[in-house]
Amino acid sequence: MSAVPLDLDNTLERPGERAPLVLGKSDLASITEQVCEIAERPRPSREWWLAFGTSASLTLVLFAMLGYLFWTGLGVWGINQPVAWGFAIINFVFWVGIGHAGTLISAILFLFRQKWRTSINRFAEAMTIFAVICAGLFPAIHVGRPWFEYWLAPLPNQMQMWPNFRSPLLWDVFAVSTYFTVSLMFWYMGMVPDLATLRDRARSKIRQIAYGIAALGWRGSGRHWHRYERAYLLLAALATPLVLSVHSVVSFDFAVSQLPGWHATIFPPYFVAGAIFSGFAMVLTLLIPVRRIFRLESLITPRHLDNMAKIILATGSMVGYSYIIEFFIAWYSGNPYESFTFLNRALGPYAWSYWIMFTCNAIIPQLLWFKRFRQTPGLLLVISIFVNIGMWFERFVIVVTSLSRDFLPSSWGVYWPTWVDLLTFLGSFGLFFTLFLLFLRFLPIVAMAEVKSVVPAAGLELGPHRGHGQYWGEIPHQHDEENER
Amino acid sequence: MKSVDEPGRFVFPAWANLIRPALAIVLVTLPAYLVVLVWLGGSPKTTDVGYRPEQPVPFSHALHAGQLGMDCRYCHTTVERAAFAAIPPTQTCMNCHKQVRANSPRLLPVRESYASGLPIPWVKVHDLPDYAYFNHSAHLRAGVGCASCHGRVDTMEVVQQVHTLSMGWCLDCHRNPDPHLRPPELVTVMDWVAPGDPAEHGRRLREAAGIKPSVDCWTCHR
Amino acid sequence: MRQGLDRSMGEGSRGSGGLSLGKRYWRSLEELAASPAFRERIQQEFPELAEELVAPATRRSILKVMAASLALAGLTACRWPKERIMPFAYRPEGYVPGVPQHFATALELGGAALGVLVKSYDGRPIKVEGNPAHPSSLGAATAWAQAAVLEMYDPERSTTLVRREGGQRRVPTWDDFLALATEHAASLQASGGAGFAVLAEATSSPTVLALKNRLEEQFPRGLWVEYEPVSRDFERTGLAQAFGGPVRPRLHLERAQVIVGLESDLLFGHPEGLRHARHWGAARRAEGGTMPRMYAAEALLTVTGAAADHRLALPAGHMGALLRQLAHELARAGLALPAGWGAEAFAPGSPEARFAALAAGDLLQARPHGLVVVGPAQPPEVHALAAGLNEALGAVGTTVSYLPDPEPGRRSHLDGIARLAAALAEGTVQALWILGGNPAWDAPAELDFARLLAACPQTVHLSLYDNETSQLCRWHLPRAHPLESWGDARAWDGTVSVVQPLIEPLYGGRTLAEVLAALLGEAALSAHDLTRRTFAQQWGGGDEGWRRALSDGVVANSAWAPLRPRLNPEAVEAAARGLELPPAGGQELVLHPDACLHDGRFANNGWLQELPDPITTLTWDNAATLSPEDAQNHKVRHGDVVRLSAGGRSVEAPVLVVPGQARGVVGLALGFGRQAGGRVAAGAGINAYPLRTAAAPWAVRGVHVERTGRRRLLATAQDHHVIDTLGMAERGRRVGSLIREASLAAYRANPEFARNTAWAKARPLWKEIEFKGEHQWGMAIDLSACIGCGACTIACQAENNIPVVGRKQVANGREMHWIRVDRYFAGDPADPEVRFQPMPCQHCENAPCESVCPVAATVHSEEGLNQMVYNRCVGTRYCSNNCPYKVRRFNFFNNFKGVSPTTRMAFNPEVTVRGRGVMEKCTFCIQRIETARIAAKNERRPLRDGDIVPACAQTCPTRAIVFGDLKDPDSEVSRLHRHPRAYGILEELFTRPRTLYLAKLTNPAAPAGEGEASS
Repeated sequence: MSAVPLDLDNTLERPGERAPLVLGKSDLASITEQVCEIAERPRPSREWWLAFGTSASLTLVLFAMLGYLFWTGLGVWGINQPVAWGFAIINFVFWVGIGHAGTLISAILFLFRQKWRTSINRFAEAMTIFAVICAGLFPAIHVGRPWFEYWLAPLPNQMQMWPNFRSPLLWDVFAVSTYFTVSLMFWYMGMVPDLATLRDRARSKIRQIAYGIAALGWRGSGRHWHRYERAYLLLAALATPLVLSVHSVVSFDFAVSQLPGWHATIFPPYFVAGAIFSGFAMVLTLLIPVRRIFRLESLITPRHLDNMAKIILATGSMVGYSYIIEFFIAWYSGNPYESFTFLNRALGPYAWSYWIMFTCNAIIPQLLWFKRFRQTPGLLLVISIFVNIGMWFERFVIVVTSLSRDFLPSSWGVYWPTWVDLLTFLGSFGLFFTLFLLFLRFLPIVAMAEVKSVVPAAGLELGPHRGHGQYWGEIPHQHDEENER
Repeated sequence: MKSVDEPGRFVFPAWANLIRPALAIVLVTLPAYLVVLVWLGGSPKTTDVGYRPEQPVPFSHALHAGQLGMDCRYCHTTVERAAFAAIPPTQTCMNCHKQVRANSPRLLPVRESYASGLPIPWVKVHDLPDYAYFNHSAHLRAGVGCASCHGRVDTMEVVQQVHTLSMGWCLDCHRNPDPHLRPPELVTVMDWVAPGDPAEHGRRLREAAGIKPSVDCWTCHR
Repeated sequence: MRQGLDRSMGEGSRGSGGLSLGKRYWRSLEELAASPAFRERIQQEFPELAEELVAPATRRSILKVMAASLALAGLTACRWPKERIMPFAYRPEGYVPGVPQHFATALELGGAALGVLVKSYDGRPIKVEGNPAHPSSLGAATAWAQAAVLEMYDPERSTTLVRREGGQRRVPTWDDFLALATEHAASLQASGGAGFAVLAEATSSPTVLALKNRLEEQFPRGLWVEYEPVSRDFERTGLAQAFGGPVRPRLHLERAQVIVGLESDLLFGHPEGLRHARHWGAARRAEGGTMPRMYAAEALLTVTGAAADHRLALPAGHMGALLRQLAHELARAGLALPAGWGAEAFAPGSPEARFAALAAGDLLQARPHGLVVVGPAQPPEVHALAAGLNEALGAVGTTVSYLPDPEPGRRSHLDGIARLAAALAEGTVQALWILGGNPAWDAPAELDFARLLAACPQTVHLSLYDNETSQLCRWHLPRAHPLESWGDARAWDGTVSVVQPLIEPLYGGRTLAEVLAALLGEAALSAHDLTRRTFAQQWGGGDEGWRRALSDGVVANSAWAPLRPRLNPEAVEAAARGLELPPAGGQELVLHPDACLHDGRFANNGWLQELPDPITTLTWDNAATLSPEDAQNHKVRHGDVVRLSAGGRSVEAPVLVVPGQARGVVGLALGFGRQAGGRVAAGAGINAYPLRTAAAPWAVRGVHVERTGRRRLLATAQDHHVIDTLGMAERGRRVGSLIREASLAAYRANPEFARNTAWAKARPLWKEIEFKGEHQWGMAIDLSACIGCGACTIACQAENNIPVVGRKQVANGREMHWIRVDRYFAGDPADPEVRFQPMPCQHCENAPCESVCPVAATVHSEEGLNQMVYNRCVGTRYCSNNCPYKVRRFNFFNNFKGVSPTTRMAFNPEVTVRGRGVMEKCTFCIQRIETARIAAKNERRPLRDGDIVPACAQTCPTRAIVFGDLKDPDSEVSRLHRHPRAYGILEELFTRPRTLYLAKLTNPAAPAGEGEASS
């Protein structure tokens, strides 16, 4: 068994040789052991209980707030005329954005053969699912009469009424739900082999049955693997365009309107970049502690952090560029309303929020030009948290400053969130972390099967690359991807 | 790790294999069933048509409008002038029933109302939602017969709702009024049938009278 | 539907049969009809009807309301709740259920009547509209008049008589009171009325006047005093000085070319404000190529000042001096004036001097068509001098005429109340009957009237509410609301109107006349009898004349004939000599009646509380207004609470900075801070009366202003926060294109000035939608005519069931008004130009709101209306975000939750009452369009221009709003859309609004020196 020293710097690019993606003594068995052990601990640590308790009670707060909201009406929020959209939409866009990293990592990086993704994709996909759940919550509760939401669905009815297909909100409904469905399938399917592993290792009957059902009778036969890989490839191909489409559609909610500060063609790319930016930041925010707590340094190596940091740097710079170009366009278009809106963002009553956004998103990530910031987990964690904050404020700036001062000065106004707004926002984090902690407790947080394909022991690092997913030497290769494409 | 040939290794009995196909069938049929259920159960055809409340006075339209052949407008006097086809005041009943069946027990509530001046609490049969503003006079003027919406009231012992009165039902006629139009002076004729093809007959009436039924929302909702 | 009007009486009374027990009508109807009290009152009020009355006509509507509230309560079966139809047992002749009727009546404020038409729906009055036949209305109605409906249905009106003895409160019946009255009358007979005093609110009712005279005959030693906190008695006294006897001035703006107003809010704060506004608005359109010019000098910014071409901000105390300066300039320019009238009070070249010079120049040009007007808050001497100047200009007979005073012998209000207070203090008054009014709250502070009142052994108070005064009186009598009672009243010009009830008194109140009659041993006579008696005595005409008066709302040729009083120059000179500049320095406090609440009597009216002040857009509050400079000097900002003290008394009020207010002046509105005003009035504003004395009722000199360090959030409908400099600058930049304006001269030179914009010529890239409807509705709003009074807002609120949301929600920008009046300041904050712009839904042809609604709840009609369908709306509020005019209103709560069943009866059944979570907005009064359309079709005739008038257009005093069919080239609105001044707001967005604005015209004088005449 070859053993790569745990402290090896695998971030260097040495021509001619492939940097190991797994460090330390890692044969197939040890990986299984390392990952499954997390889900198999007889009882979770006190820290887990502490975290779970907090987030669960925050979730309760969320439900309490929803109850109050439905009972009393939207007036319990801070929204008003002219600022008719507030926290609900801000949080929606924020969470959808976060929900981007997962599918990007698992689908796009998969198609691009970024093998380092294997250690983190499971994790990132889980985060995606939970983020999209939180995101989906907000549009659902932000309408005045939620009990009539089904009118957004094109169902035949005695009124002979259809939804208005011109409305971006309707596109949203379809875009987000599609994205959620595909991501969910992708995540679950990828998990099947690992679930089977857990099933086979299970000691108690309950676990055997539970994991057994979840594993859908996976036996790891050649046919299974074959079908699995095809399906996985297919879903990856399906998911890839969605990664771009979802946030483009979300951006249409703003871009299609004619409000100064919303009505901009740059929005789709700008939003997608921002989404990936925030998504990766959130992955890091969660990954770095988990890696430490569950001692996964050998699987999630500095190289992984480094790569993600680079993506954050890239997308962050794109976002920063968009901020600047927005100003240029506002000035260059000669549209007085547009130019005032941006002046007002930078210097008006809400300037503070603009500068928080700008600092967190455009300036702080620039530190990642330095290796030290990319590879010191602590520093990286801090930066990623800043990015999360910044990206939330980006949405605040877009929604609130544009609405609060549009065309007629007579109807300019101000918006302040109420305690209900704040607790609802907080509660959504509660929901997110509750789900996430349950994931950590019961599911394989690293895609064992896939990681195994990149350990030296798999013998796949030798010779020309043979594509993804050949795990067991004894399985005859029935196909070759290059020819399939 | 357990070895392959160890007994009791399988958690799931053999029949577990049936679950998947079974599940598949359920997943397909259940939604279909639910849709059909909601569709039929929720449609106005089920909920509204045939609504037939008991009235405080067993007034028989079959007798008055049918056998006696009284014109609708003898009682519902305002129908040509106003949005509401007003229910007649007790006076109107007593015009005849002072003499006719002057002390029939079934007319007791009427006589009481006449004496006390308190109204007879009739139950509303054709009840549109509050946000739908229907105007009788406009429809009569256009030549929509009473029977078109209320059915053959002259054959009903107890009045009941015969059409859904749903938005779609209204729109059907507003989009294509021709088959339902008749000469305005004949609106109250219960057994009226168009000479020849109703649609053709209606088309001529519509063009003559310049009837343009609107399907704008605010025609009915304000 | 105004014929058959003695039936109207029947309607009113029948209608009310049920409602008269409004407070408990949800009990069984049997009980209602059976209740002896009810039968008994019917017997004595309308014997001839007693039989029929047992079948209240409005039971249907009551049941409707019940059904509605049941539905609201959610008591629904699997189907929707079983609704019952309650037909009449006896339907009145020719009465069609569900078809509204209009009845003519009159409402009175401060002794002047306003003729109105009231729309009654199944016996429920639901809307007050102006009466075109009435000289003071001309078809328009003020905010307070329109809000009278809400007042009548106010569940907090006093519902019973109250007897307060030694701390305990009992509820007697009217019989108990009548007993007291007769016994009291008997005792008075003996003493000839000694020790008896009546304190009445001002009324012009001939009936009351007749009863009063008889009362004074019977009890010669009694004391009758009339008091109104807001009165025009200074004017009366001043003219009495000038002419040797009181006369009433009537202004004729239709003939005026140059108007010089000092503190005269003649377009808004005048009993004939509506009439003035009508003529002003007509003339300012400059259709004939000329338009009048107005000079206004005032301490506080008023609607009139905002409309003026030249405005001078000047403390109220300086007006006399300014008027003398004007006289001086007139004399210098060659007008023959007695020597002592004029005087040079201001340094040459000072703004005041320049203002006077300019005005004098113009006045001389206009001569008989000039007019000098002085406001009611100015001391009599100023009025005397003004009268003199009008005489000298020869304006009498053209722009001003004089009418006889209805009661020449009457003591002025301030003297009266002071005299009464003195008598009470001496204890020479044992019995005081207060008929209307609220003196314990609004009498001059130094009289300490409340204490005197409490000390008086026998006190009776008749009023709508159990208010501050009632609580200090032994007896409180519930008063019948004008919409519930018979009576009569005279307009400012003397025209008599008969006041007829729309409904039986909801809470069994009685009228002022009835109470007086009781004292005169005529308790048996109902208000109806008394009114008819007066009518017969004074106007004869028998039943026919009576019917005519009822149906027209006015008694033909009952107006006073103008007098030609002789001016006494010496008296004027004597008065003028007294007019000096007050010593410099010191802050002046200017008290003024609130634009909405008047003297405070309307404080419990939600509509008026929430109606933004035309200038400050403040709602639910009054505030100490300061000029920007003064605010800086006192180091206070918008919202800081300051303590204002004068004469040992002080009040604390939040500061509101108002550009254009005179320096050294603090403005404060009366009418707020009621202690016993009701739930609506509670907590709204602060009471300014403690600073008000008989000596200085309006302008208090030497008031001390100090900061308290506390702050109060002011709920303004605009500028929801102190706006930063960046925003200020931008607003300044935009006003010009939003409200386009030009001087008359510039307009003559370039009539198309408003249209010649790059955008107006630009064409959109896409194909424009064409509409196929047989009509194409549109609106035009003339900014030259609009004076920003806000009457349209209330009219809309009443017509369209618009909820009141309250102070907190307004502060959060959640007011619901469908048509708001945007107010902009432009230019120098010390002397700004004020611009108003009514903003209803523009009904854009390319409506941005429509494309974004996911459920198609807002779509376009074939007739070009932007339809909002409440029952389809799910409330995403996306439409509001995308509306560049921000005219959409969202129901953040169920705004009708708290509304009492009584108040629900004021709803307009033709308009859906919107629930929680739906968007709403202006509909161009679609219910009126549909009603007119169907009526026309039923009559087999085409719609005529003018058949359809939206509520806002109907009540607009200046006729600034015009609605009609754009497809008809001859319609008024088409003409206006073709008008050179017509322009669409934010046209660069290509929303293609169906509402066009007509650019504002101003008529400033050419700079001093070559002062050319206005025409």
